[in-house]
Amino acid sequence: MALKGLDIFKLTPKTNCKECGSPTCMAFAMKVAQGAVDITKCPHMSDDALATLSEATAPPMKTIKVGTGDAEYTLGGETVLFRHEKTYVSKSRYAVSVSCCEENMDAKFEAAKAVDYDRIGERMHVEMLYLDYCGDCDAAGYAEFVKKAAESGKTLVLGCTNVDVAKAALDVCKDSKPILDGADASNYEAMSKLATEAGVVLGVRGADINELYDTVAAIEKLGNKNLVLNVGTASIKDAFATTVQIRRAALKNTDRTFGYPSIVNVGKLAPGDAAMQAALASLFTVKYGSIIVMEGMNYAQALPLYGLRQNVFTDPQKPMKVEPGIYALNGGDENSVCLTTVDFALTYFVVSGELERSGVPCNLVISDAGGLSVLTAWAAGKLSSTSVSKFIIENVEPKVKSRKLIIPGKVAVLKGDIEAKLPGWEVIVAPNEAVQLVKFLKDMQANGEI
Amino acid sequence: MTLFDRAFGGSSEMYAWAEKSVAEALEKYGADAAVSLPSTAYSLPCYYAVTGEKLTTLGEVKAALEGKIKEMMTRKERLHNVFQAGIATALAAEIIETMKYMDGAQPYEEPYVGHFTDAMIRELGVPLVTGDIPGVPVIINAAPSVEEAVALVKSYQAQGNFVTCVGGICDQLIEAGYNTGFNVRVTLMGKDITSAAHVVSIALRAALIFGNITPGDLPNLMKYTFERVFAFVNAFAPVDDLTVGCGAGAIAFGFPVISNDMESLKGMNVPKSLILQPDTEKFNPTSIEARDVKIKVTDIDIPVAFASAFEGEIIRRGDMQVEFDGSRVDCFELVQTKEASEVEDHKIEVIGPDLDEFEVGTKHSIGYIVEVAGRNMQSDFEPVFERKFHSYLNCIEGVMHTGQRDMIRVRVGKAAFEAGFRAKHIGEVLYAKIKNEFDAVVDKCQVKVITDPEKCTELRHNLAIPSFDKRDDRLRTLTDESVEVYYSCILCQAFSPSHVCVVTPERLGLCGAVSWLDAKATNELDPQGPCQVITKERVIDERTGEYEDVNEAVKMYSQGALENVSLYSIMENPMTSCGCFECICGIEPFSNGVIIANREYAGMTPLGMTFPELASMTGGGVQTPGFMGHGKHFIASKKFMKAEGGIERIVWMPKELKETVAERLNESAKELYGIENFTDMIGDETIAEDPETLLEFLTEKGHPALGMDPMM
Amino acid sequence: MPFNGKSGKFNAAIRTVEIGTGDKAVKLGGENVLPFYTFDAPIENAPKIGVMITDMGLENEVAGIKDYYNGCTSFAEIAKKAEEMPGADFVVLRFEGADPNGENKSVEDCVAIAKEVGDAITAPLVIEGCKNVEKDAELFAKVAEALQGKNVLILSAREENYKGVAAAAGLAYNQKVGAESAVDINLAKQLNVLIGQLGVDQGNVVMNVGSAAAGYGFEYVVSTMDRIKAAALSQNDAQLQMPIITPVAEEAWSVKEAMASEADMPEWGSQEERGIDMEVETAAAVLASGSNAVILKHPTSVATISKLIKELV
Repeated sequence: MALKGLDIFKLTPKTNCKECGSPTCMAFAMKVAQGAVDITKCPHMSDDALATLSEATAPPMKTIKVGTGDAEYTLGGETVLFRHEKTYVSKSRYAVSVSCCEENMDAKFEAAKAVDYDRIGERMHVEMLYLDYCGDCDAAGYAEFVKKAAESGKTLVLGCTNVDVAKAALDVCKDSKPILDGADASNYEAMSKLATEAGVVLGVRGADINELYDTVAAIEKLGNKNLVLNVGTASIKDAFATTVQIRRAALKNTDRTFGYPSIVNVGKLAPGDAAMQAALASLFTVKYGSIIVMEGMNYAQALPLYGLRQNVFTDPQKPMKVEPGIYALNGGDENSVCLTTVDFALTYFVVSGELERSGVPCNLVISDAGGLSVLTAWAAGKLSSTSVSKFIIENVEPKVKSRKLIIPGKVAVLKGDIEAKLPGWEVIVAPNEAVQLVKFLKDMQANGEI
Repeated sequence: MTLFDRAFGGSSEMYAWAEKSVAEALEKYGADAAVSLPSTAYSLPCYYAVTGEKLTTLGEVKAALEGKIKEMMTRKERLHNVFQAGIATALAAEIIETMKYMDGAQPYEEPYVGHFTDAMIRELGVPLVTGDIPGVPVIINAAPSVEEAVALVKSYQAQGNFVTCVGGICDQLIEAGYNTGFNVRVTLMGKDITSAAHVVSIALRAALIFGNITPGDLPNLMKYTFERVFAFVNAFAPVDDLTVGCGAGAIAFGFPVISNDMESLKGMNVPKSLILQPDTEKFNPTSIEARDVKIKVTDIDIPVAFASAFEGEIIRRGDMQVEFDGSRVDCFELVQTKEASEVEDHKIEVIGPDLDEFEVGTKHSIGYIVEVAGRNMQSDFEPVFERKFHSYLNCIEGVMHTGQRDMIRVRVGKAAFEAGFRAKHIGEVLYAKIKNEFDAVVDKCQVKVITDPEKCTELRHNLAIPSFDKRDDRLRTLTDESVEVYYSCILCQAFSPSHVCVVTPERLGLCGAVSWLDAKATNELDPQGPCQVITKERVIDERTGEYEDVNEAVKMYSQGALENVSLYSIMENPMTSCGCFECICGIEPFSNGVIIANREYAGMTPLGMTFPELASMTGGGVQTPGFMGHGKHFIASKKFMKAEGGIERIVWMPKELKETVAERLNESAKELYGIENFTDMIGDETIAEDPETLLEFLTEKGHPALGMDPMM
Repeated sequence: MPFNGKSGKFNAAIRTVEIGTGDKAVKLGGENVLPFYTFDAPIENAPKIGVMITDMGLENEVAGIKDYYNGCTSFAEIAKKAEEMPGADFVVLRFEGADPNGENKSVEDCVAIAKEVGDAITAPLVIEGCKNVEKDAELFAKVAEALQGKNVLILSAREENYKGVAAAAGLAYNQKVGAESAVDINLAKQLNVLIGQLGVDQGNVVMNVGSAAAGYGFEYVVSTMDRIKAAALSQNDAQLQMPIITPVAEEAWSVKEAMASEADMPEWGSQEERGIDMEVETAAAVLASGSNAVILKHPTSVATISKLIKELV
C-alpha cells in the first residue's frame, strides 16, 4: 500500500526551503504521495529517509518514455487496475505495422498518416510505426527501410530479433528514441547490450508467459530496466491472458518483474481482418494494451477507437469539457435560434446529436460551466443567469441577430433572471430531456416560432 | 347474540347450503363427474390456495366439504376460530358457485360476471401490483336508495378502484343504467351472496400468481392478501348471518368490513376490522382510511398550467393582479402533523376574502397551512415538505413565490387571475404535490388558505412562529449522542465511487446540503434510496467516534473500498471526501493546527496548496489522513475533529469564510473553552499566506493550538 | 523463480439466467471471474449475441443489412433470417415505431408483430420497447401476455415503470425481466431491489446498466460495469449478480460517425464501414467490461464479435 502524505512529511526536513519547487514541505510530501513528484527532488532528505521512501514510493509499474520532441510518448506508470479507482496515467498508443519487404511501402507510410483529426482538444492520429523485419533482407536493406520510415516523424518500433540487423537499424534511428522490440530468450544479452548502448527501450518477448517472465528477470539482472513487454501472437486468447496477467501481477501483487508497459500486435493476431483488428484494438484499449499494433488505420476504425480511448483515459473526477463558443448546427446562421447548455462534453454530445437529428438550423451556445452537467453546474453556481447572460452579451450578441434563446428545461428556474439580464431576448424553456428536443424544435418550426 | 355467534351461524348456514348443492349435483351427475371453473389452472381456486389440493370430481368436492372445510368450522370463541370459520364459509360459497357451473353451464349472463378467468386476473394483477388500481371495494346488498348506490360506486370508480358488487346493489346499478364491466372497473359479481367467493378467488389467485405463494401455505397467503391486496367490504343494512360469516372470512384475509347496520351489528364493531358507519356518504373515506388505500392524485385541478418550465417565470409589478408580501404584512407557510381523525383528505378551505375581492395591484396577508396525517408521518418531515413549497408554487403558470417560513412573497399574475386562478388553487397544488411526492408517509392531507388579515396575524404569532422556534430548538439540541442511528449518503458515488458520507446530527454531509433530518426523511420516503440507516451500537473508540457497525456499513456501501472510518478524527481513518465538499481542512504542522479553505477561495493557503490542489488529493473517496472535506456548517460543531482537540485547532481560514461562520464558531469556542472572540485569533489571507508569518501571528495572539499536544 | 500468476477466481458467481425454450435456449451469466479471464477459471457460459430487427422493417437500414435480408417481405421472414445469421444466439425485436413522438404504432399492431415473430423463430426472443415509459409499460404487458410460454426477455423495466413491466413480465406471464438503469451502480442495485420487492425472482432478472457508443461518455459504461462485477464477485452482492445485456446497435448506429453521409464527410470513407466499426468496437469494449450479451444488427459485426468471443473463451 502506498504511503500517505503525512508519513512522507514526517521524513522531510520540515524547513519549507522551497528548493524542491513546492512552497512547503507539506505540499511537497502530498505531491510525492500522489506520485506527481519524485522524492529525490528534495535535496535535503537524509539517506535513511530516501532509502525508506524510494522503495515505498517507487511505482509498481515503470514509466517508460519513447520517441523525441512532439513524438515523445509516456507509457506505463499505472497504479490501478480499474479507472474508477484513479485516473489511468498513460494512454494506449496506436501503431501501424509495415514490413521491410512491403511492395507498396510508400503508400503504406502515406496511409498511416491519413487519420489525423482533432476531438475535444486532442490530436488523434497513428503515433507509431511498427517496422517488421522479414528475416530475409540484409541489414543495410532494413536500415534503409527504417530510415525511410523515420521521415514520417512518427515514433518507431523496430520489430527485429536479429541482433546485427537491429544494430544497423539503430545506427540510423537511435536518436529518435525508437523501441527495439527484439529481445527473446535466445538473444537477450546481446539485444539488451545493444539497446542500452543506443539508449533505447527494449521490447521483450517469450514463447509463453513463463519464458517472458524469465527473460525479463534475466535482463533486469543485467541492469536494464528500460523495457516494454510484447505479449506475443500465439493466439488471441493467449495474448489477452498475458496482457491482463502481467498488468495484474505488477499492480495487484507488486511483482515488479512484470511492471512494464505492453505491446500487442493485433495485426498479427487477425491478419487481413480489419473488423477483427478493430474489435481487438478496442478490447486492448479497455484492458491494458500500452502499444497496439494494427495492419492499418482508416477512419472507420479510428473514429470509435480514439473516442473510446479519450473516454477511458479521463480522470473520473474531472469530466471532459468542450470549448465555450457558438456551434452552428444544420447550417445555422446569424438568424437562427440560439440554444444554450453546459460545457460538459457528454451533455454537449447528447444535445448536439439530438439537435442534428432535428434538422432545424440553430446555434448551440456553450458557456464555461466548469465541465459539469446542467443540474450540477446550476447547483454549484457555475450555470447561472449571470454566466449565461454575460456570455451572450459578450460573445453572441455581436455575431447573432436572432434574439430567441432556448434554455435547458432543468434550469427553467433561470428564465426570469436571464430575461431581466438580457433585454430584448425572448427566453424559451426547453423540455427536460435532450431526446425530447427533436419534437420540440420541429413543433416550433411548424408553428412558425423559429 | 355475539358477533362470534352470528359468524358461526352464518358459516353453518353456508355449509348446509353447500351440502345441499353438492348432493343435488351428485344425484344428477354422479361422484366421478368432472368439476371445474372456466379457464383457470387453479380449480377450485380458493380451496386450492388455502389447502394446496385441487378438486377435480364431484366426489372429491364432497369429501373436501365434509373433511377439511368441516374441520375448519370449530365453534370455539377465539379469534383464530372465527377466522377459520370465515374462511370455511368462503370455501363453502365457492363450492356452491362451482355447482352452478356443472356440466359446462354458463350461470352468469351480462352484465353479471361471476367467475374470473386466469387471464382476467393476470391482466388485473398488474395494475393491482403497481397501485394503479389502489383498492378493491366489495359492495354487498342494496344501498338505501339507487342514488346512494350510484354515488358510492362512482366515488370509488373515480379514485381508480376496481369495484365489485354482490346482491341488491347490482339491481340498483342496472336500474340506474350504470355502465359496468371489466374495462370500466365496475363489475357485477352475482345476485347471491355466494358470488362474493369469486372476489375472494381474485385475491387468492393474485397471491398465487403475483406473490409466488405456495398453495396451502395459509399463513403466507393471509400475509400476502393483508399486505398487498387492498380489498375491503361495504355491507349495506340489513346484514344477515350469511354475510357476517363471509365477512369473517374477509377480515381473516385482511379486508375490513364497513356497514351501516346499526341495529343487528350494534356494539359489535372491531377497530380496523368491522366498522359501523351510519352515514353511507362517508363509506368511501371511512373505507379508504380503514384499509390504508393509497389513492393516486393524477391531475392538479387548477385553471392554469403546472410545469417545471414555469419555475423561473417572473411576475413584474405591472403584470401583477395581487401580491402577498411577508415583509410588509403577516404571512406564513406551514406544514403541521395531525391525527388522522383531524384531517379530511383533500379538504381545501379558504378563510377570508378570495382573490377577486382584492383591488388589482394591492398587497395582502396570506397564510397557508398544510395539515397532514399518516402512520409513518413524523414532525421532523415538516420542514422537508415546506422547503418544497417554493418549487411547487413557482411551477404554477402565472404565480411567483420567494422566501420561506414567515418571510414569503407570493405574486399572482393578471393572466392567471383572468384564467380563473383563485386562493383555493394554491391549496389544490399543495395538496396534489404533497400527496404525490410524499405518499410513503402522508395518508391524508388538507389545506387551509387564510387571507383574513387578522387571522393571519394571529396564526403567524401564535402558531407559525412558535412552530418554527420549536423546530430550531430541536435542531440545536439534536446531538450525535441523542439519536439512535446515523444515515449513510451515497448520492455522490457517480463521481466518487468509494465515497460514503456518514451523516450525523452534528456532522452534516460534506456537501453542506444533507442534514441528518434530510437524510432521515430521504430514507423514510425512499427506503431503497441513497440514504440508509446506520446503527451505532458497537463502540470501538468513543474519542475518535469509531463504531463496528459504522465500519460495516461503510464497507458495504463503498463495495469494500473502505474498511474503517472514524467520525471525529482527521488523523486516524478520517471520513472520505467526494468532490462536492464545501470546505477542506488540512493539518498545518508548524502551528500544530489545521487550516480550512472553502471552495470559493481562489488564493494560496499557508499549506502551500490552493483549494483545487487540496481538493485533488482529498477527493475521490480516498482516505487522506490529515485532510478532510466537510460542510461550512460543520466548522462550528463540537464534533469538528473532536479527537484531535476540536475547533481550538483552527488556525487559519479565508476572511470571507471566517466572517460567515464567526458568530457560531465564537459561540462554540466560548462554550467549550471559555475563549471570547476566538475568530480574532484565527489567521486569514490578509494576515498570512505562508506558515512562518502565520506562526508569528498566532504566537502574538496566543492561539491555543500552539500549546496543545502535537497532532502527529 | 518462475512467474507466479495468482488466480483471480472468486467465490461468488454471476447468476445464470436462461432465455428461450428448447434446444436453442441460451444461458446468460454464470461466471465467477472477470470478463474473458479464462486463465483464472473457465467461463461458465460464453457471452451471447442478439440480432436486432425492428418493427420499422428494413427501409432505414444500410445496404449491407438490406442485402442480407433481401427477399424478406414479412416480419416472420425477417425474423427467420435474423436467427439464421451466422453468429446469432437470439433475436431482438425492437419496437422503435411504438414511440408516441414517432410513428406511434398501436399496441395491438405491435402485439401482432411480436406474435408473428415469436411464432416464426425457435431461437430465444428479446423484446425492446421505444423508451417511452408509459407506452412501453402498456406494450410490454400485452406482448408478455401474447408470448406466454416462450420465456422471452423484456427490455426493459425502468425506475419509472418497473412496477407495471416487472409485474406483467416477471409475475403474470413468467417471462424474464430486463432491469434498465442509467450507468450508475447504485441506481442499478436500487432497481434490482425494487423489482425483487415486487416478488419477482432474482433469477429471472437481467440487467441493462446503460450503454453509450464508444466516444460518447463510454467511461461511465466501463466504470459502471467494472464496479458492478467487482461488487457482485468480490463482495458477493446478490443484488448485483444478475447477468448484463447491452444493446449496442441502436447506440452505435445513431452517432455522427455512423450517420454522416459520405458527401458530407468524404475523408471519412464508407458510411457503412464506419457504422460496422462503431458497432464492433463498442461491442468489444462492453464485452471486455462485463456484458454477458450484446445486441447487434449488421451481419459483419455479428460475425466479427462472434469470432472474437470464440477466440477468447
